[in-house]
Amino acid sequence: MQNAKDSFYMALRTRLAPLNPERTLLLRGAVRPGILAEEAEAPFSQLPNDVFVLRWLSLGVDFDLGTTMAAAQCEVIYQTCGSQSFGGLDRGRALSAMDKELTAMMQPFWTPKLNYIATPPAQMLTNLFWDEPEFGPIVTQRDLLSRSVKVMVYSYQEQGE
Amino acid sequence: MATNYYSAPAPVARRVRGYFAPVNRAAQTPVIFDPAELGSFSLDAPPAPWISLGWIQGFTRKTESKTTSVLTGIPASSLEQVRETLGAQVSVEFLSWTKLTMALATGSQHMNVLAAASGATAAAVGATATAAVTVQSGSTATFVALASADAAKFSAGSIIALDADYTGQTGYVGSPVSGAYVRNALTDVDYIRRVTFNVALVSAVATTGTTGLTLAAALPNGAPAAGAKLQAVTGFVDREGGSFYQEWSALFVMEGSQGERIFFHYPRLQTVASAQEAALPLDSKQKTGLARVLLKGSFLALPVTDPLDGERVVCYRSFLPAAKALV
Repeated sequence: MQNAKDSFYMALRTRLAPLNPERTLLLRGAVRPGILAEEAEAPFSQLPNDVFVLRWLSLGVDFDLGTTMAAAQCEVIYQTCGSQSFGGLDRGRALSAMDKELTAMMQPFWTPKLNYIATPPAQMLTNLFWDEPEFGPIVTQRDLLSRSVKVMVYSYQEQGE
Repeated sequence: MATNYYSAPAPVARRVRGYFAPVNRAAQTPVIFDPAELGSFSLDAPPAPWISLGWIQGFTRKTESKTTSVLTGIPASSLEQVRETLGAQVSVEFLSWTKLTMALATGSQHMNVLAAASGATAAAVGATATAAVTVQSGSTATFVALASADAAKFSAGSIIALDADYTGQTGYVGSPVSGAYVRNALTDVDYIRRVTFNVALVSAVATTGTTGLTLAAALPNGAPAAGAKLQAVTGFVDREGGSFYQEWSALFVMEGSQGERIFFHYPRLQTVASAQEAALPLDSKQKTGLARVLLKGSFLALPVTDPLDGERVVCYRSFLPAAKALV
C-alpha cells in the first residue's frame, strides 16, 4: 500500500501546485506545495495552518480477487485563522477556498501508481482510485477554523508489493 | 524478470456515460459505433454524430428475448434451444434537463416553445410565433450571421431554434434529427422549427461590423443551410399521447478504474414510456425535503441485421481491457 499512499500524496501535490501556486509551505529548508503527509514528517506539536495534512487511518484488504485489493482511508485535515491583513475576518473565506481546492484536487478520481523508491519514479501496472470525499463539519476553536475530510483510496497489490 | 502483466479483477466504475445519435428515420439507418476505431475516444469529446448526455444513473438493461426448448423423445427432453423472441429494454435517469434529455424521456414529439407574436391566440404548445428571421451567408456552427436589424431582436441569453420553413411536406421532418412525422399537411410555417433539435443558446449579439449571434455551443446540425430561418425559443413542451416515437442510436460507456471500458451499443432505441420524472432527495435523511427532479427514460431496443453474418441483434456489448491486464 506504500506505493499507493505515495502516489496519492504526489498526485494531490501535483494537482495543487497549478490550482493555487501561492499555497506553499517551507519545510526542511525547501518551499513546496502546501500539502504534506503527516507520517513522513517530524511530529508536529500542532498542525500547520493553511496547508493540507494527509493522515492515513484504517486499512482493509480483499483477497478474493484475481489481484488483491487494498482500501486505505485517508483523512485530509486543514485549518486556517484567515489572513493577518484582514485581522482573521476572512477565515471563513480562507477555509472555503481550501474546500474548493481539495474538491478540485480529487478529480479525476484516479492516478497511475508509481514506485517512488526508484529514481526516477517507476510507473507500475495499475492505477489507484478513490471515492467521493466525505467532508466533515467545520470545527471552531476561537479564531481557528478546521475541517477533516475522509476519502477511501483503493489500489491493487502488484507482484513484489 | 519482472512481470509486466497482472490479473485484473472485475472493473470498478463510478457512473455511466450516455451518448445518443440520431437515426436517419427516412432511410432507417442507425449510427454504428465501432469499438475498433472509436473505442478510445475522449469521453468528454465524443466523435460526431454522437452527442454526450453526460453522466446518467439508474442504467438498467433488461432482456425481453425468450428462448424455448425443442423437445423430443419419450419422455420428452430438450434436443436444442431456439430463440422465440428478440428484444430488450433499457432504462436510465438523466441528471440534467436539456432539449435532448427531455426529448429522450418523452414518448412523443418534443417541441420548442417559440416566442409568441404580440396578441396571438393562446395555444398549449405555444401561440403563433413571431416572424422568423433569415440566416445570412457566412454563418458557422457557432456563429449565425444576421442582418443588423434582425440581430437586434435577440439578446445574450436568448435561446434560438434554427431550421427551414415548413412548406406542406409530409413524412419525417427535421434533419439530421427527425423531430416528428407529419401524416397530413399542416398550415404552420414554423412547424419544423417547433420540433427541430437544432437549438442553441446565444452568448453574444453583434449589431455592428460582422452582425449576428455568437452561440454558447455549436448547433447540432452544424453550419446553417442556405435559406434557414431562426426564431427565439422560450422553453420546451412535450405531450402525453400522440403517435410519434423518438428513435435514437445509443451508446453507454462504463470506464473502469484501470482504464478499461465497457460499451453497450444499441443501434436502435425507441422511447417506450411516456414522460416520467423521479424525485431524488438531496438529503437521504430528509425524504420530504429538497429533491432533485430526474428525467426517467425507458427505451425499447429494436433489432438490426448485422452485415457480418446476417444475424438480427438488438445490442452490442464491447469490452476493451485495461493495459497489461490478463485476458
